[in-house]
Amino acid sequence: MPPSPSRSRTWPTVFLFLAPAIALLLLIYGYPIARSLGLSLMTQNLGTQLEPQFSGLGNYGRMVGDGRFWHTLGNTAVFTIAAVTIELVLGLAIALLLHRKFWGRGLVRTIAILPWALPTAVMAVGWAWIFNDQYGVVNDLLQRLHLISGPINWLGDPALAMVSLIVADVWKTTPFVSVLLLAGLQSIPDDLYEAHAIDGATPWQSFWAITLPLLMPQLAIAVLFRFAQSFGVFDLVQVMTGGGPAGSTETVSLYIYATVMRYLDFGYGAALTVVTFLLLVATVAIAIALLGRRGLRQL
Amino acid sequence: MHDLINRWISRLFNRGPGRSRSRPLFALAGALVGMAAAIAVTGLWHLGATAQPSDAPVELTMLLHVPEAQQWRTIADRFEAENPDLRLKIIEGPSATNAIEDLHTAAFILGDSPYDLIYLDVAWVPKFAAAGWLMDLRDRLTPAQLAEYLPGDVAGGRYRDGLYRLPFRTDMGMLYYRKDLLAAAGLEPPETFMELIAASEQLQRSQGVDWGYLWQGKQYEGLSAMFAEVLAGFGGFWVDPETQAVGLDEPAAIAAVEFLQRTIASGISPPGTTTYTEPETLRLFRTGNSVFLRNWPYVWNEVNRPDSPIRGQVAIAPMVHAPGERSGACQGGWGLGINRATRHPEAAWRALEFFGRADVQKQFVLENSYVSSLRSLADDPDIQAAYPQYRTWVEILDNYAVLRPPVPQYAQASDILQRYLTAAFSGSMTPTDAMAAAARETRSLLGTA
Repeated sequence: MPPSPSRSRTWPTVFLFLAPAIALLLLIYGYPIARSLGLSLMTQNLGTQLEPQFSGLGNYGRMVGDGRFWHTLGNTAVFTIAAVTIELVLGLAIALLLHRKFWGRGLVRTIAILPWALPTAVMAVGWAWIFNDQYGVVNDLLQRLHLISGPINWLGDPALAMVSLIVADVWKTTPFVSVLLLAGLQSIPDDLYEAHAIDGATPWQSFWAITLPLLMPQLAIAVLFRFAQSFGVFDLVQVMTGGGPAGSTETVSLYIYATVMRYLDFGYGAALTVVTFLLLVATVAIAIALLGRRGLRQL
Repeated sequence: MHDLINRWISRLFNRGPGRSRSRPLFALAGALVGMAAAIAVTGLWHLGATAQPSDAPVELTMLLHVPEAQQWRTIADRFEAENPDLRLKIIEGPSATNAIEDLHTAAFILGDSPYDLIYLDVAWVPKFAAAGWLMDLRDRLTPAQLAEYLPGDVAGGRYRDGLYRLPFRTDMGMLYYRKDLLAAAGLEPPETFMELIAASEQLQRSQGVDWGYLWQGKQYEGLSAMFAEVLAGFGGFWVDPETQAVGLDEPAAIAAVEFLQRTIASGISPPGTTTYTEPETLRLFRTGNSVFLRNWPYVWNEVNRPDSPIRGQVAIAPMVHAPGERSGACQGGWGLGINRATRHPEAAWRALEFFGRADVQKQFVLENSYVSSLRSLADDPDIQAAYPQYRTWVEILDNYAVLRPPVPQYAQASDILQRYLTAAFSGSMTPTDAMAAAARETRSLLGTA
């Protein structure tokens, strides 16, 4: 693109038009991050009468030995990776289904988006009852199908509680992924499939050769969005298990919430927030680096 | 018109010689000032609209959890009727009390809590008082007035030397049992842990009862309260208030955990116990398929409702204990405190005085099976007629009350205990390891490591 002759005159104007938006972003994103950074260098808890006292890197040192923090990070990682993987596969399958023409497709598409539209906290209560050991639907179904002999204590067993959480989260957010991927599917021209079929390819081969590569940008977006959202999951876990038996479903956001709101340990909570934020940014940066420059331009 | 606007815009942004470099800046500055002015005007207008005229009734706000908010309706209406210049607005919150605690904390941290009266659980007083959110009430009551309340309740409202909570109603954990089932098998109500297990097993075998002993085992505050009783029953302690010593890794504590673990392992208690709070255990007990239930006084009215299958078949006793030790009854209880930053401190105090009156408390007790903190009501003939076991409740509290550690970091200490208890119950840690870890973390929390 040749440089415009008036470029030197338009840049300040462009910047001025962007200024309000940039100011708003700085206020909403930049200020809390900066404040957390500052607060993480202080000690402010009930021991200091809720007055901030400068303590340098003391909070970070405390975090290194805090087993509960690393445990919650592990829980969050397990939850995120499992949930996002299942959602991608299921979301893609549903998107492929919804891409075909069939009678009632509009209605099915609307119903398919419903789980995403329902409030998480309310549905979390519903899911807790579904997985209840005495009165729950899951146990009832499994027992009627003779797959289990006695009721399973879903939310009382550390491993099964995580499974229940993942099921509830997959149910809730798969529609989001499927809508994203459906939009991507609709942008793939049909002639490609026709040409491929004429050359003698099976639908399965078309899927691998045409659909998946052309869907890469949407897949990447879906993974990035879902990863960031899943990492910060709070309402579903808090309402369904409250951190679960023996803290086995406690995610990072629950721990930070408890530290700040229940223990009133603001300085340490800020330090936890900063570290979590940096970890998340690092992960996303690695993902973008793996995507490569070409992938970025496609996005 | 179109043309006019075009010319105006192009003049505004035209970089003519001399003055025009700063034109766009002026325009932007003007726009920002205009936006700020608009926001300020809107805000002030909103403030003005919500400011009360000086002769309107003073409105006091209070947050209550839903079941109790409905029970407070009658005495709140009576308060407004007797004090025409005051209004009491009750905001309903979630029924889980730690959610209410979080709501209060969030409002206080923001610095502008809308609640004038604070309905305080006994476990919150040290934390709220240490954070400086509550008004000190020690100068407003004479020692004689304070002596009318049960001493455990008054102590629950103190922090350091101040008094931050006026007791309203008291609570204690106890054992509910099916007297018909025990009588049919010729058994006496159990006094020790072993007798409880034996009675449960016998009734489960012979009478076909589903469950023997129901208790709350979910990872929440109620678990700490329930455990405090079993711990006291084995002769152990959690945190000594004087010395701040931690007793969680002593043999008594480990025995307590092993007893609870055994109830699940031997089938006396349902495997889902580690997910149960008070409503779930009450529901199971009401179906009539269980013998024993550990719960609070409110259960009495619930199981004696006209539509309850076990109406009239339930009796109460103090929690069981180990031979040679005493029973434990976890002291709960709620009271009223005042937000230190309230705009109506005198009106709030009048409300506290009203709800502390004997006749108001009597009305509340007669309508709901709660136990008042006023000692005199135990001798009231109407209350004795409605609740023959009321005296028993007060006696249980007088003799066996167990307080949870009155430290500001109580929330964190309770979380530590809850996590390791549920770890032991679910089998991921042995009781000895779990309690050793809990004791270690509690010591480092209290600074006595």
